[in-house]
Amino acid sequence: MARPVRARRQVRQVRQVQGACPNMTPMLFAYPISSAQHRGRSTRRSGLLQWALWGCCALAAALPATAATANAPPTATTAAPAIGAQAAPSAASAPGPAAAVTGTGQRIYENTRPLLLQVRTLLKTQDSQSSVGSGFLVGNGGLLVTNYHVISQYALQPSRHRLVYASVDGKQGALQLLAFDVVHDLALLRLADPAPLAGRGAVPLRPADEPLPRGARIFSLGNPLDVGFAVAEGTYNGPVERSFLETLFFGGSLSGGMSGGPALDDQGRLIGVNVAARRDGEQVSFLVPAAPVRALLARGGGAKAITTPAWEEIARQLLVHEAHLTQRFTQLPWREAGHALYRIPVPQEQFMRCWGRGSPQAARGLQFERSDCAMDSRIFVSGSLLSGYITVRHEAYDGSRLGTLRFADRYSASFANEFMGVDNRQRTAAQCVEQTVAAGTTAGASTGAARATASKALPMKAVICLRAYKKLPGLHDVSVLVATLDQPTTGVQGRFDAHGVSLASAQKLAQHYLDGFAWTAPKTASR
Amino acid sequence: MDRPENRLALVTQLDRDGRALRSVDVFAWPLTMGRALDQQLVLDDASVAAQHATLAPDAEGQLQLVVGHSVNGAWLDGQHLAAGSVRALPNRPSTLQLGHTQLQLRLRGETLAPERPLPPHLLRGAQAAAGSGPWGALAPAARLWLAAAVLMALLVVQHGLSLDPGADFTTWLPALVGLPAAVAAWCATWALLSKLFQHRFEFMAHLHIALPGLLIIELVDVLLPVVAASLGWPLLWRLTPVLRVLLMAWVVYRHLALLMPQQPQRAAAAMVAATVVGGAISLAFTHRSTDRYSAPAYMSTLPLPALDATRAAPTASLVQQLAPLATQLQKRVDQARDDGEPDADDGD
Repeated sequence: MARPVRARRQVRQVRQVQGACPNMTPMLFAYPISSAQHRGRSTRRSGLLQWALWGCCALAAALPATAATANAPPTATTAAPAIGAQAAPSAASAPGPAAAVTGTGQRIYENTRPLLLQVRTLLKTQDSQSSVGSGFLVGNGGLLVTNYHVISQYALQPSRHRLVYASVDGKQGALQLLAFDVVHDLALLRLADPAPLAGRGAVPLRPADEPLPRGARIFSLGNPLDVGFAVAEGTYNGPVERSFLETLFFGGSLSGGMSGGPALDDQGRLIGVNVAARRDGEQVSFLVPAAPVRALLARGGGAKAITTPAWEEIARQLLVHEAHLTQRFTQLPWREAGHALYRIPVPQEQFMRCWGRGSPQAARGLQFERSDCAMDSRIFVSGSLLSGYITVRHEAYDGSRLGTLRFADRYSASFANEFMGVDNRQRTAAQCVEQTVAAGTTAGASTGAARATASKALPMKAVICLRAYKKLPGLHDVSVLVATLDQPTTGVQGRFDAHGVSLASAQKLAQHYLDGFAWTAPKTASR
Repeated sequence: MDRPENRLALVTQLDRDGRALRSVDVFAWPLTMGRALDQQLVLDDASVAAQHATLAPDAEGQLQLVVGHSVNGAWLDGQHLAAGSVRALPNRPSTLQLGHTQLQLRLRGETLAPERPLPPHLLRGAQAAAGSGPWGALAPAARLWLAAAVLMALLVVQHGLSLDPGADFTTWLPALVGLPAAVAAWCATWALLSKLFQHRFEFMAHLHIALPGLLIIELVDVLLPVVAASLGWPLLWRLTPVLRVLLMAWVVYRHLALLMPQQPQRAAAAMVAATVVGGAISLAFTHRSTDRYSAPAYMSTLPLPALDATRAAPTASLVQQLAPLATQLQKRVDQARDDGEPDADDGD
């Protein structure tokens, strides 16, 4: 009878996040309600995702409100006099003595100003803006590039939205969506009427064979929080480590509304496109590199305007991405978790980040160690859907201080404490299959030790749950939940989640994960 | 000489709760009933006519009810009789309603219903009547104490399992004090209702219902998930909450039946209706959010290693079950599309 209360306490115990918050905030400036809804909805996501996102979503939701009220006015009022009458505040608040650098910023801004645009998504019926980002002219014939997430509302619901631009000198006009790259968060647009901006040229792309040295000054342009066009100075810090998709680390400040703006070297050539920032650090911002921009330009320059919901094209791009991800993930061998009894699958940290945590030593109750691994690269599909990533987690429990019955109670409660997802607009409810399985017997784990222990398999309870995307045909979320069953006071529970994968990949990944469990070789070899 | 054993009939006036207000022996027919003082049975009821009804045998000796000049008429065993109608009385106790007044008529030579046994809590010191098995052989009071002891032991053990070893004694108080207090409060509430309807504070009677009921619910709650996990039967595991709800409804029904012993069918109908409607609403909500009729996505109770009777299958066989699952989900997706669910970002 007292069970529900204690189980809830367990929830809080297990769900506490410490430091690990691997999520980026897309630099989109949207009507605050949209962010609030995003936050509300994200709390209903799958357990692990919910766990990982919680801290960051709170920041994301707070962004438009706090930034617009607290940050923006000081930037505009304090920075503007330093530079002059020019409405070009340096958001990065560069140190005063570096006059030469400020001069470069001024020159870059002067040169790029005609090419810089604000991209606004308006509600068709009432002409009010539902999101605002930045963009810049590229190539010929009035093409411009921005982030996919800036125009995602139009891409998904073209009948209810329209896209317009506003230039620095106040020109406005309609935009057409030609192509997008949802994986790299890029979109290619065209001016419906190129005449007002004719002859302005384009932002050149820095050649791929001229790598930029780390520490180089770069300049990010855009219209932060719809306050006004701005140039933000920062340093180029190379590609983000352990990122599945190549992303550049920009040591400067990006604010909402700068999404889709260009980041330029000191000669005004494109290094990357503003895309996201971490809100749990300082001046940790991210750029999409120039290579996918070049590819999108080559692919979509001559395309027809998109006027119908783009779900199928998004699904197609996500399927290409997930096939690549699945292939790379399953090719990597699992790491050892260092457990005395079991071989527990822990992913390589090539494109994942793992955080560990243990119970306090003095605890009287259940002792545990947990590991949480997640991919930083998550693909923005809509305000309520991030996809295309993998998370892996396990908890190793030691109940030797508890005794068999108490351990069984805690162990089952922890196994119950997993959220699999309910039916919502984006995805169906999770449906699961469950079975006691014998791990470590398949030929998949084909090391000599594993084959030697094949006679004595590790009994595990395994649950595999699948959710289908309602709008993205062929894509699923798969969750694998595992608990070892052989010891009375020791056990390991693991969870694997892949978001946005095909059925074949879901099966491949689930099999790969289940194959990662076995007895540790030394124990069975010595006894 | 009107000796009591020579009475032809017994007319009992009942109050609203169905208990006797006064009894009148009848030694000769006819019996006249009404508000007028010249009637044999005077009924002080504004809704009763001066000469409301008469009981008299007809030519064949069959006793008849004759309704007099009355606006309201009369009700014999719930059946309405208009003024002037004549109806033969059945050969068993019958009820007669005149105005607001309830009368019970018993006739000489009626067939008696068998004696009804007392509820178990009133059989103090009596040997159990023809019980079967060891449970039936116990005296009712012993049964009660046994149920209380087993229930308390189960709950305390369960609470103890949820505490870490060496827990402070205050953490035991909810089980040791709170649970008995809760059961007492539950029974006292029902006893108060009994007092309201039956004018008896039937605490022990309700305790005799609550304790065995709780014991059975607790046993189902504790044992069924463990058995299901050990056998690897998720379906049995999913039945646990259903069974729990049905058992609770049964316990409440028994309490209700004690409140209104005259209308046990009504209590049963009310509980069945409440259970069906409540269950249907709950299932509808569950199905809306999970596409299943059982909220948990999977059987979360893990078998104890010593009791595990499940057969371990190769991992590949589980992975292969994903394909039919995906087909099933695809149907759901198609259905959502056909239903024209709003676009994903609607309202954002």
